Amino acid sequence: MPLGGFLAIFFLLLAAASGGALWYYSTHALAAVLSGAAYLFAVGKSLALAAFILAAVAIIFFIIARLLAAPLKRITRAMQAFADKGIRAPIRVPRLAPREVRELIGEFAKMSASVEAAQAHDKEVARVKSDFISTAAHQLRTPLTAVRWALEALSATPLSEDQRSLVENATAKSKDLVAIVGTLLDISLIESGKYKYQFAPLDLAALLENALADFIPLAGEHGVHLALAPGAAAPPVRADAERIKWVLNNLIENAIRYTPSGGSVTLSLAVAAGVAFLRVRDTGIGILPQDRGNIFERFFRGGNALSKESEGNGLGLYIARQIARDHGGDISFAANENGPGTTFTLALPVA
Amino acid sequence: MDTKLILVAEDDPVLKNLLGHTFAGKYQTLYARDGAEALALFEKYKPALLMLDLLMPGVDGFAVLEKIRGRQDEFKSVPIIIVSNLGAEKDKQRARELGATDYLVKAENSIDEIVARIAKALGE
Repeated sequence: MPLGGFLAIFFLLLAAASGGALWYYSTHALAAVLSGAAYLFAVGKSLALAAFILAAVAIIFFIIARLLAAPLKRITRAMQAFADKGIRAPIRVPRLAPREVRELIGEFAKMSASVEAAQAHDKEVARVKSDFISTAAHQLRTPLTAVRWALEALSATPLSEDQRSLVENATAKSKDLVAIVGTLLDISLIESGKYKYQFAPLDLAALLENALADFIPLAGEHGVHLALAPGAAAPPVRADAERIKWVLNNLIENAIRYTPSGGSVTLSLAVAAGVAFLRVRDTGIGILPQDRGNIFERFFRGGNALSKESEGNGLGLYIARQIARDHGGDISFAANENGPGTTFTLALPVA
Repeated sequence: MDTKLILVAEDDPVLKNLLGHTFAGKYQTLYARDGAEALALFEKYKPALLMLDLLMPGVDGFAVLEKIRGRQDEFKSVPIIIVSNLGAEKDKQRARELGATDYLVKAENSIDEIVARIAKALGE
């Protein structure tokens, strides 16, 4: 802006001088020579003025840079350090920095302090939660142990057929409860990022074959045809075998549970661009369009669940995706827009 | 064949009874209700194996484990099987580092399984 002002003044002066010179020349021939000298003198003066103003502008810019730009750069750097690494360091600025800059620094310091406090609070909440879950797990397991062991002792005694089947039912349910407690514990660890994965090379084809054998009985009970697509092969992936098995089991169990009798569930394995894809495709009831955005949420269960029998705890997919992501992979699904069938894909990077 | 003496540190009377039921005839069994008693009985009877709960009043299982593994005599290497309802990886790791022979989460195992692991630890 100062530069623009200077130019305007300069051109005004130039125009006035030229106009004056022309007027003199037209009236006095002699004076014309003098007016030419005056004209040159005026131009010289303007140039000196220009140089002066230019210098002044440069000085003003330098001061602005010192007092404004440098502190702003430091503030930006401090913000980056805080955002990236949570480092909170004092920001130094020259004593003459404008009040606004100092206020900005003050406000940033306040804001970062409150963010830090909020984070500390979150950490504390997470710690209390995880302590609570492990205490609760212990509290639940203790009576469950007594129930399980008592049932075991009971089943070792002579029982009528009815009694035996009651005891067997109770045993199965108590085992389910124990498994749920274990799952809750694992979930709380996985969710808090504290779960210690045991990574090792894993043969996915073998994993699928074992899963197939494990689930044939459940599939049979539901009248669902479970099969492994031919040609399943992939180079080993680096994975926690137990956890990936758990993820796969969840996907297969879901597929069987949500597929009506007479349908099928097909497992397949493929590799593309350094990623292994395990697919579980079913001919089941599909996923309602309004549910599709939520199926990976905690405790979410499909609105079209077949029956009470197909009830899960709604934790499977949520934690399965977390596990996949902790392996550098992911879980995705494809459901038909209209009609049955869902395919879940577990993607894992090849080692 | 003479039966071996095992020491069971378990503060829950119900679980103690259920275990006693199973061990009867297989082993001579001593029971301790807390860590201090377990250490005293261990010192006095030098059992062939210790089955140890972790959460007990007073001296806990970790302390018992540490004390026994810190002994200067041959009884420092008596098999110690942790049978607890603490099941977090950090607990298992801590017990392993302190020298536990085996670790079983109570609720996740049947008594039969526990008996099998005791037999294994005793080299039977």
